[in-house]
Amino acid sequence: MSLSEVKENREALVSEVKGDTRFMSRITSIGLTPGCRIRVVKNDKNRPMLVYSRDTMIALNRKECKGITVEEVTA
Amino acid sequence: MSTGATIALLGQPNSGKSTLFNALTGLRQHVGNWPGKTVEKKEGSFSYGGKEYRVADLPGSYSLSANSDEEVITRDFIASGEADVVCILADSSQLQRSLFMLADYAGINVPCFLLLNMADVAEDQGKKIDAKAIEEKLGIPVVPFSATDIKSYDSFYKTLEKALSKNSKINVSDLATQYESIKGYQDICELIPENAIEGYSPMWLAVKVLEKDEVVIAKLKNTLDAYTFSRIEEAAVNTSGAVATGGCKFRWIDELLGETASAKDNTVKLSGLDRIYINKFWGKAAVILTVLLGLIASFIPALPLMGVGEAVLALKAPVMNGLSSIGCPEFIILIIGDVIIQSFSYIFKMLGFVFGVTLVFGLLEEVGVMARISYVFDNTMGKLGLQGKSVMPFLVSFGCTMGGAAGARVIDNWGQKVLTIALAWAVPCGAAWATIPMLAAIFFGPGAVGVIVAILLTMLVHMWITAKVFGGQLVKKEDRYGMIMELPPYHKPKWGALFRYVLGRTKETFVRVTKVILLVCGIFWLLSYSPSGNGGILYSIGVAIEPVTKFFGLPWQLFLSYIASAVGKEGAVGVISALYSGGSYGTAFTQAMSGGADTSNLSSLLLANVTKPEALAFIFAMTFNMPCVVALAATFQETHSAKWTARIVIYYTVVSLILAFIAYHIGMLIW
Ligand SMILES: Nc1nc2c(ncn2[C@@H]2O[C@H](COP(=O)(O)OP(=O)(O)OP(=O)(O)O)[C@@H](O)[C@H]2O)c(=O)[nH]1
Ligand SMILES: [Mg+2]
Repeated sequence: MSLSEVKENREALVSEVKGDTRFMSRITSIGLTPGCRIRVVKNDKNRPMLVYSRDTMIALNRKECKGITVEEVTA
Repeated sequence: MSTGATIALLGQPNSGKSTLFNALTGLRQHVGNWPGKTVEKKEGSFSYGGKEYRVADLPGSYSLSANSDEEVITRDFIASGEADVVCILADSSQLQRSLFMLADYAGINVPCFLLLNMADVAEDQGKKIDAKAIEEKLGIPVVPFSATDIKSYDSFYKTLEKALSKNSKINVSDLATQYESIKGYQDICELIPENAIEGYSPMWLAVKVLEKDEVVIAKLKNTLDAYTFSRIEEAAVNTSGAVATGGCKFRWIDELLGETASAKDNTVKLSGLDRIYINKFWGKAAVILTVLLGLIASFIPALPLMGVGEAVLALKAPVMNGLSSIGCPEFIILIIGDVIIQSFSYIFKMLGFVFGVTLVFGLLEEVGVMARISYVFDNTMGKLGLQGKSVMPFLVSFGCTMGGAAGARVIDNWGQKVLTIALAWAVPCGAAWATIPMLAAIFFGPGAVGVIVAILLTMLVHMWITAKVFGGQLVKKEDRYGMIMELPPYHKPKWGALFRYVLGRTKETFVRVTKVILLVCGIFWLLSYSPSGNGGILYSIGVAIEPVTKFFGLPWQLFLSYIASAVGKEGAVGVISALYSGGSYGTAFTQAMSGGADTSNLSSLLLANVTKPEALAFIFAMTFNMPCVVALAATFQETHSAKWTARIVIYYTVVSLILAFIAYHIGMLIW
């Protein structure tokens, strides 16, 4: 599923990241790589998403999130 | 003193490079708790142990890719051999992520050492980091550090000397093993000879080829023979790019941190502040309220300097009297009194405001509120082709457009920066807000509220249209990247450093502004000076072009004050009152700039001479005119473009006259 479908306070594993070179390099260097575990902190319409991963709170534009596929972790 | 080494400070955004740089050199780079403040390389020096070291503060970036010019400049600066040693900073409170820069650096042949900065923050969070273990695995000196703690600098100097004497380089063998799992890596690596590009190892170059780094690929094409290069290209086809190499880098980091990596625990607690700012219902309101309170609060630290401004003004009469009693020529007395003393009074009052605003907003930045503001406004700003960060300059512009223009410095994309400044001009500044309600109340009584609302609505439409007008040229579609930004944890403010920074900024502003204001006020005064006290070039011009200005609803007196409002909005009302009372308006202009004008009988004067539609036209023309000469200077300074500065000035002049025209004709319909 796409990252933007994950509900607030759920955790997920990143399975795939797609996009142009610039996007890939930005998203990788801020720590979102395949296999990495993230927690969705905020998922409000018309706001960037807020995810927490590798000790870092990251704000992600919703459009950019489209390229990130995840698998939800069932707690 | 002998020359020591040149040190480059490298690290992800917000890792504390500029804090360290400022403490070492005594210079004042922009510091604050959100990513991406430093946008240009800055050099300075310090001496230690009888040696003079040079140090370069580099713009923060998340990696050393070729995605922005800054990143390319950064890595070339390092690899070119200009730096003898690289100090890599990582944020201990977010260690895993911020070590990515170290992983991306590994393979560049310049000696380095690692500062685990913000050790105090990590400690507060209960994170324990075993620096010794990391040092052993990495093969370079590693120290826990706090850039904000002056007492800990001894360990910085010691580590620096150690890295230099040992010529320490990162042990990359484990990292190379990681990379070997990537398809194509080994082939490419073997095809690249040592020293293919000075300063970079074959491993580093091979990884960049896999990441489709255009700059590296172009350089390899130039240096390698065509056959080798084509084989590299072949090997790179259908490889998985930055995702695969990034995965390797993070796996290497995980191994490096071993037990110390605390990221297993993914629970987060939003702090109380964040629960308010990030809330989807009241987040925006809370942010706006914070900024408004901030603007109001900034008057408190501003008061002392404003008092100095008043005191300077109080000197004027005695000085002028004194000069005339010793027989000084009238002309000189007027220059000293009306131009110099008046200008300084005005400058001090404005500095008071600059000081207050920089202090309050600096505090908001240091604590970490600024990052939340960008987050909350990212979507709205995106519609204008801007980034969330642009909202800050807009808000600051309600106080002072110059502050807003200077605040736009933090926007890393030049086009978006220019567009932000262009839009910030449409926000009426504090001086305009002092004038609008007063004039509106004289003419429209309680209707003044309606005028203020109309001004605010016009401002929004103006910004929207201006974004469309300039946006196409300034911000290309493909440059409109959405936000990918960390929200840093809140920090306790460091008052000492903050005050030093704010005082420094105020001093710089003082020097710059003084020149501009003395010059412009001098010229304006000369143009309106005439020995007889009536006439002057401005008067002749004003009367001559009145048929044209009437078209916009502005009689010549109002048109001249409109011109004066381009110099400084403070002047507008004073000029009006002087012109209608028939006094010497050359003097009135400079007096008005420092708030010294006599406006006591203004309302009866105006009501007798100006019609309501004309007043409305003037309010709009004055409000949306060029903010002031100081804002103009700041705009040029930040955009580095005379062409764009001129365009913005012309655009605003034209638009303000059009708005005056519209307001005038609507007014004619009503009254
Ligand atoms: N508590 C604490 N705060 C620190 C420390 N070092 C830096 N800071 C704060 O962290 C924030 C970021 O510091 P900067 O020096 O602006 O970071 P930078 O690396 O230059 O950031 P960019 O220029 O944006 O790349 C500021 O608010 C500093 O006051 C530290 O050791 N401890
Ligand atoms: Mg910096």
